[in-house]
Amino acid sequence: MRALCWEGVGKLAVRDVPEPTIRAERDIIVKVRASSVCGSDLHLINGYLPAMREGDILGHEFMGEVVETGPGVRRLRVGDRVVVASVVACGGCWYCRTEQFSLCDNSNPQPVFTEKLWGHSSAGILGYSHAAGGYSGSHAEYVRVPFGDVGAFTVPAQVPDDSAVFASDAMPTGWMAADFCALKGGEVVAVWGAGGVGQMAARSAQILGAERVIVIDRLPERLATAAGRLGVETINYAETDVLEALREMTAGRGPDACIEAVGMESHDVGPAYAYDRAKQSVRLTTDRPTSVRQAIMACRKGGTVSIVGVYAGLVDKFPLGAAMNKALVLRMGQMHAQRYIPMLLDRIATGEIDPGYLATHPMTLEQGARGYEIFEKKEEGCLRTVLHPQAG
Amino acid sequence: MTSNATRWALFGVATVTAVGVGRAAARRRRRHQPERQDGWYVVRRGITVDRPIDAVVGFWTDRERLDRALAEWATLEQLDANRWRCVAGDPAGGGTEWRAELTVDGPGRLNWRVTDGPIAQTGHVELVPAPQDRGTEIRAELRWRSGPVRRALGLGTGGDPDLGLRDALRRIKSLIECGEMITTRHDPSGRSPAQEWATDKIREKLTTGGRA
Repeated sequence: MRALCWEGVGKLAVRDVPEPTIRAERDIIVKVRASSVCGSDLHLINGYLPAMREGDILGHEFMGEVVETGPGVRRLRVGDRVVVASVVACGGCWYCRTEQFSLCDNSNPQPVFTEKLWGHSSAGILGYSHAAGGYSGSHAEYVRVPFGDVGAFTVPAQVPDDSAVFASDAMPTGWMAADFCALKGGEVVAVWGAGGVGQMAARSAQILGAERVIVIDRLPERLATAAGRLGVETINYAETDVLEALREMTAGRGPDACIEAVGMESHDVGPAYAYDRAKQSVRLTTDRPTSVRQAIMACRKGGTVSIVGVYAGLVDKFPLGAAMNKALVLRMGQMHAQRYIPMLLDRIATGEIDPGYLATHPMTLEQGARGYEIFEKKEEGCLRTVLHPQAG
Repeated sequence: MTSNATRWALFGVATVTAVGVGRAAARRRRRHQPERQDGWYVVRRGITVDRPIDAVVGFWTDRERLDRALAEWATLEQLDANRWRCVAGDPAGGGTEWRAELTVDGPGRLNWRVTDGPIAQTGHVELVPAPQDRGTEIRAELRWRSGPVRRALGLGTGGDPDLGLRDALRRIKSLIECGEMITTRHDPSGRSPAQEWATDKIREKLTTGGRA
């Protein structure tokens, strides 16, 4: 079969690779119909997480059709149209039992790297480097999904492929970000990042009761899309002082909750950003936390900062003093996809959320390298490139 | 021109630094050494399984499940009501065989003694209820005799008994909780056979001694 493989820092190519087979009783094989690029792939492609091996197949946000099931699979049948959670969860450990699926004890077969880096290893993630288990990803014609009954969910017939695909990662991540904010109704929520996850977080915050949502980015077309589609207010940080603007928009209080949907390759303007970027490029620090710093500084006293952008290692100039003295609640984590996916599919089916507009660039596998390029450089108003491995 | 005083000061700083670094390194090495008692190395490792004690004991007594769990690793043979013989291959694949005698000692305790193997080894496993409805703590103690050379060799090749114990506990937990020990070793990739071989070596490093 054809698959989009990582060939070294910044290099991607389509290769002919063996088809996956059922290896355990609870495995399923999914014929991939739509597989989205994700901002967190960029950290892997660009070598910020040094756990990729040449030939690894990328892709973790996808949907498709079940074509084979292991003898231990009960809930799914061959032919089911499913969306699959990016995070692999066994369904049988304490974390899975308490619905903290991204902390699963048993789904990362290669726990040593993250155990050294973080103290404990967390769940495996499909197509997400050898730190997350070394699973083959979904930018391929077929993919093996372990614990199929736990991770794959049937898609309602009226939901098209290019909407369902985002229930895999972008939507549950955005929903969890808003869920972390513990909204009671009437709050002002600020969201850093107007990419797929940021926009889904903004929509989720609206549904969960936020009265005003303010989205911060530097790309006018993304801000325009967010304003047009979701009716949120926007700040362009390239033109406006974000802290000052947020303070004014909330009459001095600051947002009640701040969601960070950017991650370790944050952009900003000014000398501090140039300094961070220089340090990161020679690996003196792994992550640039520009937007987390801003979120902490902007948040109202006693408010919540919710971090769903991906960070991998160490940061510096972290404003712990601000967080401590303002008594902030900091919440963060990889999404517990399996907890949210069925509910999110229902909300897509009823039209309450429509993530389909994120798929601005449908492409074939062969166009994958170019797809990532326009996604990374934000060319042609790209929000998400979605690959269709069965096409082309 | 450098004065004598400067020279002595530099010499002093260098000495203090060297001694300090050396001591820190020695302390670190000591901290990572297993405890020694009467010529035995002793390590204690624990893991929490999200199942009540009965279910964990049930896993040991369900012969079919146990055999499946131990496949490609060891075979079990029952000698009498409380004693078993376990024959295990060398995890590094060196063809060495280990024979151990297992005795069940009360409801939550199991002892073993290697009767025939390259390293003298004894150990026991104890099952304790975990707090807050977290299931069962499996606490294992392993004692083995080994010289410093063999130990260094073992650490180098990944054949250290401590690593083996950690792997075994993780494997048991996974088998009880989700019925399989997951692996991504055969997942497809665009690698050449040589690259795949190198990647498998790295997989091994990232797997050996890991804890859930």
